[in-house]
This record gives sequence, structure tokens and C-alpha cells, in this order.
Amino acid sequence: MDLFLALELIALALTGLLIWHSARTRGAAFTWMFFLGGAFLGLIRENVVAQVAALNLYSYSPATFHLWIGAAPLILMVFWSYTIYLSLTFSEVILGGDLIGGKRSARVILLAMVFMASYACLNEAFASMYPMVLWKFKPALVIWGQTPAMVLWGYAGMSLIFLTALLIVYKLRIRTVYRVMIFCASGIVMIPLHLLWIAIFRLATSFIG
Amino acid sequence: MNAQAKIPNFFIREIPFLVLLIFWVIYAGIEIIRGRFDILTSVVPTGLFIIAYIVARWVSKENKD
Repeated sequence: MDLFLALELIALALTGLLIWHSARTRGAAFTWMFFLGGAFLGLIRENVVAQVAALNLYSYSPATFHLWIGAAPLILMVFWSYTIYLSLTFSEVILGGDLIGGKRSARVILLAMVFMASYACLNEAFASMYPMVLWKFKPALVIWGQTPAMVLWGYAGMSLIFLTALLIVYKLRIRTVYRVMIFCASGIVMIPLHLLWIAIFRLATSFIG
Repeated sequence: MNAQAKIPNFFIREIPFLVLLIFWVIYAGIEIIRGRFDILTSVVPTGLFIIAYIVARWVSKENKD
């Protein structure tokens, strides 16, 4: 079996474990919202970024990925929820917080952002080396593997936007099924917000070099 | 975490830690196999989180005892 196909399958299986963990420790409503919302977000966002040339960001290497959904690798349907779930859990344990319960929520989100930036370092250095991602622009600032420094900011921003939206929608006093549907639909708002978040960094660093 | 949810056993509780640890080892391992020592240090920031997580778990256990 191809090494990268094995990695894709391992990632899907490990995400299944995270979904199980979420269902056992956080309940069904949270789990449906988090992972179904994350899947919609990943599916739409990554297809938009890969196909809209005007965004001038990146596309995915067809020589690397095996499983696709549109112009984006299938794994991107679980990628954002998987990484943000790790960032949330690690932050809650380290700070002794509870995002949904309202215990140190702001600090949990802030530390989740730091975790995401840390995760961006290893994931994007790996992605650029493999290569998984084909960058369309020459970045002003880079980290390991000539990866744009923008990715640290981008990952952190996604965590901020996703967890804040989750918190808002989770608190709505409506049936779970409607909260799940609203959170899935909120991806349409989260995606342009995140693209704006990235654009701010690119604009701010465009004067360097 | 949801306070109303039943407290899970050790294995279930530590699934996120195990997932990150597995990926962390895979990333680092592939970079070593490919001889990409120039980007191997990219695993350090997440490694610090792994250490912080272990310390937090240990401290909370100490406080309970």
C-alpha cells in the first residue's frame, strides 16, 4: 500500500476515535455539531480555496492524495474538526476549563489558538515537504520547509472562529437538530471570515521583503 | 468538558492525547526517514503541548490524592 494512502486511512480512523471520545465525554448534541459542522466547513472551504484562482492561496497535489471530494482531498472533511478538537481538549485539560460549561472559556479559546499555531508548524512543514500543498504565491515570511508564516495565523484564526461560532450556536435554546443544521450552515459565514482573517495577515506582511 | 456526561475510563479519556501522540511520531518518523532534519524541529512546538498536557494531568491527579 502507498505510504500516503495509509496515512489518509489512519487519519480517518483516528478521527473516528475522536468522534467516539466526544460522544462519550461531551454528549451527542456537541458531537453532531462539532464533527458534522467541521465536515461541511472543510468540504466547502477547501474546494473554494482550491478552485477560486482569485484567492491566490494554494491547491492540493494530485500526485499525493488518493481520496478526493471535488477539488479537495477527502481527508479535509475531517481535518479541521480533528485539529480543533485536539486544540480544545488539550486547552481544557491544561487550563482546567470547560468551553461549553462556561469555565475559563475565553482562555480555553486563546490557548486553543496557540495549539493550532503549534500544530500548523509541524503539519504545514510536512505538507510543503511531501508536497501535499502547492502554494500559488511567494510568501513574505516563511517557517520550516519554506511554508508561509501565514499558516500559523490561519490555523489560530480557524480555531477562534469555529469555537466561537460553536459556543454561540450551542447556547441557542432550540432543538438539537436545528442547532446542528444552523452550525453546519454557519460555515458559509465562517469561511469568508477566515479568508478575511488571512487577508489581514497577508496585507500586514506584504511590506516585508 | 460536559459535567453531566459520565466519567469515562482511562483509555477513553486519553484518546485525544493518544491521537496526537501517534501523529506526532508519524510526522517526526517520516521526516527522519526522509532525512529532512532541517524541518524536524517543526515538531517541537506541539511537543511542548504534549509535555504540558502530561504535567496538567499529573498535577490534577496529585491534587486529587
